Amino acid sequence: MILGLVALNALLAQSSFRVDDLERRMVALSQDHLELVHEQATLSAPGRIAAWARRHGMRLPDDIRFLHVPPAGPAAPAGAADPLDRLQRTVSHVVDGGP
Amino acid sequence: MNRPPVRRLVALLAGMALAMATIVVRLSVLQVSQADAYQTRALDQRLSTVTLPAARGQILDRSEEPLALSLPARDVYADPRYVVDPWATAVRLSPVLHMAVKDLLSPLTAHTSFAYLARQVPLSEADRIERMHLPGIGFLSSTRRVYPAGPVAAQVLGFVGVDGTGLSGLELQYQRLLAGVAGRRTQELDPSGQPIVGGIDVERPPVPGMDLVTTIDRDFQYQVQAALEQAVKANHAAGGEVIVMNPHTGEIYAMASYPWFDPNAFSTAKQSTMRNAPVTDAFEPGSVCKVITAAAAIQERAVRLDERFTVPDQMQIGTFTIHDAHSHPPEPMTIGDIVAQSSNIGAVLVAQRLGPARMATYLSRFGLGQPTGVGFPGESSGLLLPLYQWTDTSLATMAYGQGISATALQMAAVYATIANGGVWVRPRLVRGMVDAQGVFHAAPPSPTRRVVSAETARAVSEMLAFTVQSGTGVAAQIPGYQVAGKTGTARIPKPSGGYYTDRDIASFIGFLPAASPDVVILATLDRPATIYGGVAAAPLFQTVARYAIERLGIPPGDRLPLPPHLQPVG
Repeated sequence: MILGLVALNALLAQSSFRVDDLERRMVALSQDHLELVHEQATLSAPGRIAAWARRHGMRLPDDIRFLHVPPAGPAAPAGAADPLDRLQRTVSHVVDGGP
Repeated sequence: MNRPPVRRLVALLAGMALAMATIVVRLSVLQVSQADAYQTRALDQRLSTVTLPAARGQILDRSEEPLALSLPARDVYADPRYVVDPWATAVRLSPVLHMAVKDLLSPLTAHTSFAYLARQVPLSEADRIERMHLPGIGFLSSTRRVYPAGPVAAQVLGFVGVDGTGLSGLELQYQRLLAGVAGRRTQELDPSGQPIVGGIDVERPPVPGMDLVTTIDRDFQYQVQAALEQAVKANHAAGGEVIVMNPHTGEIYAMASYPWFDPNAFSTAKQSTMRNAPVTDAFEPGSVCKVITAAAAIQERAVRLDERFTVPDQMQIGTFTIHDAHSHPPEPMTIGDIVAQSSNIGAVLVAQRLGPARMATYLSRFGLGQPTGVGFPGESSGLLLPLYQWTDTSLATMAYGQGISATALQMAAVYATIANGGVWVRPRLVRGMVDAQGVFHAAPPSPTRRVVSAETARAVSEMLAFTVQSGTGVAAQIPGYQVAGKTGTARIPKPSGGYYTDRDIASFIGFLPAASPDVVILATLDRPATIYGGVAAAPLFQTVARYAIERLGIPPGDRLPLPPHLQPVG
């Protein structure tokens, strides 16, 4: 009887320690997650990316171009299902600077 | 001779009985009459209650990119009674805490049992200190607020104090929702501080703060700020402001004020850079206000669109002489020409047709003299004198935007009203909230009110398009797009009365595409070297508008016809 009670108590204590450990682990993982969110946000900050782009010789475009896509025709010619063909036909209708 | 044993035994018995009675009485007191009190005291000794801080919500941009978030941190403190060698301790802590040794020595040698050494220390640095096992150095759990994009939208976001309470900006405005509700945990602990198995363990979990989703577009806001900084420097101006908003929903895509500050280091920033000036600071708007004069006159049919005014270059009003910006002989002008050429005298002639009462009514209907209701802390109402305080010159000066003050946000909302077909929409900085379960709760749509008819708004839009095509706003043109807008050059009033002769605010407010606007943009520069809005502010507007076209994917759209005009088309 006494041995049984001691064993039960030990098991309960073990569970308590395990819950405690898991809680600590959960807190640590939450902290890691927040740190990663912070790191991702810092790395994707526009100021950082703009500075990186400038260092690598990139610049914003000088003019604005709009692609005026013609309305879809009733029947596509053979081979028109190919996205590259469609893109080529679209680009042929490019109007720089709009109307 | 010995005393009889019976008497001694009786005395002993009596003594023992008395002792037993005392014990019984004491036991009764302890176990019966004061049992509850002792039980409570014993429980109190075993119970430990800790506050469980609620995680502060994040502030996100319109694409839910984090603009502000809270990270776990530690406060580092000293109990100087246990610090063995203050100097050596300070030397070891100095490089980790980025503090001078002499600044650390003071708390380490203080006559107290508790002194903060540093607050909101990142966990990595706190861990390094913990591994040093310095006697007398302790740690408290804390959080620190970080702004990953640095000064992007800094004045809009605001910042929080060391205790995690919002002190300005959206951090202050939405403090209650962002902060959440702290929880509590009560546990029964043994003398070593370990929880007693099967003992009391009651927890009221904290309710984390909600995430705030703003209307700000982080990347676009950065572009706007970069353009603003460049314009301020190029024009040798003291500062500047830009607002970009959706005229139909009132959503503000970008709101910037230069100079700005980095909220990650707000304690080192100048106070003046912390204000969200487009909302908190009012200025005399100048000629950009002529759009109200024109809209009111058209709406009230006080003028015809093709009516010919003969406009001189100066006019006497009471003891004041009002001038146009440039001298010219008396010229025939329509109201469209007056707006496009930004004639002060022409605006006065139109306002005189309206009269003070109707002019005051429309200034108020367009939202001047009252807060927009955006709810931002410290929002200014601007200044619109009540009609009974108007002087002989008030009608004339208000016709071209002097003698009246407004915030940049109020003026952006005026142009948004025209762009939105005559309906004023309350500007907004918040799209909604995200709760702890990740569910988005959209903010209610902005309230609206009709100010002028759709026909009036369209007529004014045509005038504003004419202004950019052939008037004072040609520097705002964008190839392929029809832009509508108005220049403004406003004198800055002296605190003692009158105006500075060498201090102006240059502004340009407009929208595009003129026929079906997707975006309203306000650009102002404070005291630029070249004072005219059409020269200083219109190029800034144009730069921001080009970014907006790319970022928001605005197509060119149809073109509005030009209004009746007598001035040549450029």
